[in-house]
Amino acid sequence: MHSSLIRTIKAEGLKLKRSPVWLTFLILPLISAFFGTGNYLGNQGILQNEWFSLWSQHSLFLCFFFMPALIGTVCSYLWRLEHLRTNWNAFLTAPVPLLCLYLGKLFQAVKVVILGNIWIFILYFLCGKLCRLETDFPPQAPEWFLCGILGGIVICCLQLALSMVIRSFAVPIGIGLVGGIGGMLIVNKGAGLFYPYSLYSVGMRANNPQMTIDLKLFAVSCVCYAVLFCGLSVIGLRRHEQ
Amino acid sequence: MRTLQLEFYKIRRRKVGLTMAAFLAAQFLWGLWAFHDPTPSEQAQGFLSLLYSIPILDAVMVPPVMAMLASRLADIEHKGCMYKQLETLRKPGSLYHAKAVCGLLIIAVTFAAQYALFILLGYAIGYQGSPDITYYLLSYGLKLASNSALFLMQLALSMLFANQMIPLVTGLCGSLLGLLLMFVKMYSFLPWGGNLNSALVMMDWDARTRQATYYYREYSPVELAAVGMIFVWFVLFYAAGRVLFTRREN
Repeated sequence: MHSSLIRTIKAEGLKLKRSPVWLTFLILPLISAFFGTGNYLGNQGILQNEWFSLWSQHSLFLCFFFMPALIGTVCSYLWRLEHLRTNWNAFLTAPVPLLCLYLGKLFQAVKVVILGNIWIFILYFLCGKLCRLETDFPPQAPEWFLCGILGGIVICCLQLALSMVIRSFAVPIGIGLVGGIGGMLIVNKGAGLFYPYSLYSVGMRANNPQMTIDLKLFAVSCVCYAVLFCGLSVIGLRRHEQ
Repeated sequence: MRTLQLEFYKIRRRKVGLTMAAFLAAQFLWGLWAFHDPTPSEQAQGFLSLLYSIPILDAVMVPPVMAMLASRLADIEHKGCMYKQLETLRKPGSLYHAKAVCGLLIIAVTFAAQYALFILLGYAIGYQGSPDITYYLLSYGLKLASNSALFLMQLALSMLFANQMIPLVTGLCGSLLGLLLMFVKMYSFLPWGGNLNSALVMMDWDARTRQATYYYREYSPVELAAVGMIFVWFVLFYAAGRVLFTRREN
């Protein structure tokens, strides 16, 4: 099992080689950081909470609108090759357990999310320094980072399930975008912890002036959704095999 | 005409209509959520306010939808490696033209349905008066032009790149740009700002009374130039896409 998993992770890594996945995670946070910082500097009369105000401008649109769709792009790309021609046959006859095949893809998606999150926080730090903020970098930032990754894993699991079932490259990305926008409405109703697409933004404390969440409930929600979507995906793979 | 018919035939089971319906349903649900409980002042200005709200909503939502539509139309040939064969049967230019017209017809129907849905929503939640048909038609025309330009740009990308990630990410970046341009000015010379240019109504927000006042926009010469730019983009993207696709070796 262990060596099979490592082989599938390597194989999925090979499939992603020379793909422009990294470019998407480079550009979108950059645009968001650029405009977010501009908006912060232009409204310092209202936004007086230094690092926290800057974070609100950086994270709001990126987390709600674009991160679910971006993760959807990676997941669609990971399944695209299998949907082409007769590649499903080759994929399902690989001499490794189905769970490993799925986890190989999940690993690659999560890796991209982690790298994307690191880039978002680097931009946040750099923009804060450029704005010459007087207070220290928030010590809670690592917690936002980790919670964001946990929420991102849930979206990876969900989008991988969708992209596995839907043969189109574009449709799961559209679902991710609409799901993310819907997440904003659901967070405003106070139910963000129960909706998979909003878990990333809730974890990242986007649009959350108090910057606090119920960590236990958040973790339980993330684990439950991740297990559910992973399970459904593996069941879907088994059915595909039959 | 035959090529155009074939384009519709090819997409008959690709659920393009369902994708556009899902986009309209998402917008309609947002409209229900945002406008369901209007104040008397909002009811009085309701149909006017729609000409402000719809373009803003579109500035964010439409770029990825155009990317999806273009990708659905172009990807069918990439997946089947059909371009080489198709171009032995007809000229690449006419194939490109057919795909463009097919997409533009779908867009025209989608946005007509969008306006019909929002007008119905307005009546359902008790907006006073009736929509100003002239302004609604003008708004529809400008929206059609700006989003058609976006579609043609996306179509060119989707036809030229077999890897559909590139056009779709461009659509997502466009969506973010559209959203952020809104905070800068209500007009833009960029293709993703076309929806902002086509907003025929503007809003004044009184923070003290927390009331919005809507009024018909008086275009400044710069804003008019930005509107004119929509048509420049339209021609430019169509011509560039067609020329690049025709010259491409498949």
